[in-house]
Amino acid sequence: MSIHLLHRHVLEDHISGFETDPNPNHLSVIRRPVIFSVLARAGHEAEVAEALWNAEDVAPRLCGPYEWLAVSRTVGAETVEAMLSEIANASVIDQSDGRVLMEISGPGVRKILAGCVAVDLHPEVFEEGRSATMLCCHAAANIARTGKDTFEIIVPRSLAGSVFEALMEMGREHALTRGFAD
Amino acid sequence: MASLITCPHCGTRPKEEFSIRGAAAPKRPSPTAKDEAWHRYVYVRDNPKGRYEEYWHHEAGCRRFLVVERDNLTHEVFGVTDAAEFKRGGAAE
Ligand SMILES: [Zn+2]
Repeated sequence: MSIHLLHRHVLEDHISGFETDPNPNHLSVIRRPVIFSVLARAGHEAEVAEALWNAEDVAPRLCGPYEWLAVSRTVGAETVEAMLSEIANASVIDQSDGRVLMEISGPGVRKILAGCVAVDLHPEVFEEGRSATMLCCHAAANIARTGKDTFEIIVPRSLAGSVFEALMEMGREHALTRGFAD
Repeated sequence: MASLITCPHCGTRPKEEFSIRGAAAPKRPSPTAKDEAWHRYVYVRDNPKGRYEEYWHHEAGCRRFLVVERDNLTHEVFGVTDAAEFKRGGAAE
């Protein structure tokens, strides 16, 4: 438990003051997500991808050829590590402390994100379950569509503050609220 | 400048996601090559007008090196290949 007391989220100073009830358009910052980077050895991309997509409790995110992120909001890092290290021909490394996971949702989400990314996020092009690395508010972010109007954004920790502020700015006209979520 | 590049891994992306890393055509000399050869490779480059091949690094996307064949006069893009594939294709010639 002591680790929990010491833990201070990098966006803590950005989400200070009073917290309102979430509006329909809401940005939640996941307090302690588990994020692993997974790399496949040359020639083993398909089998590692298959194992990753079949793994329980983790959501795979596409980064590029031979490279993924495995995200979990339900189980701990040890569990994920034990599970991922069983995949043959893959290298895994814990990135949880180096990345920040945010979830943006609501009816205006695509309009908000249109001010942040230059990629077409229309559901017919970027359908549910799709993920990709792209420029979001000048930072390389991994964006995944996890629902009709829900997206997950993963950014490097050091850039999280500026991305967060930019997202809030873009969401102002849509009454975007923010808060931590577990 | 060509403003939309269709990455073979990521799809159509804006040019801001890439950084241009120079012409792809010059062949890297062997490590034991003469200084003149290395000097020519590193410093003496053509500045062609028209269609040519260039390395583009997809920094904010898949982080792969790509070879973009484009016309620097008309901004037309003819093709984008992964640099690893480009090298393999070149070796077969
Ligand atoms: Zn790419």
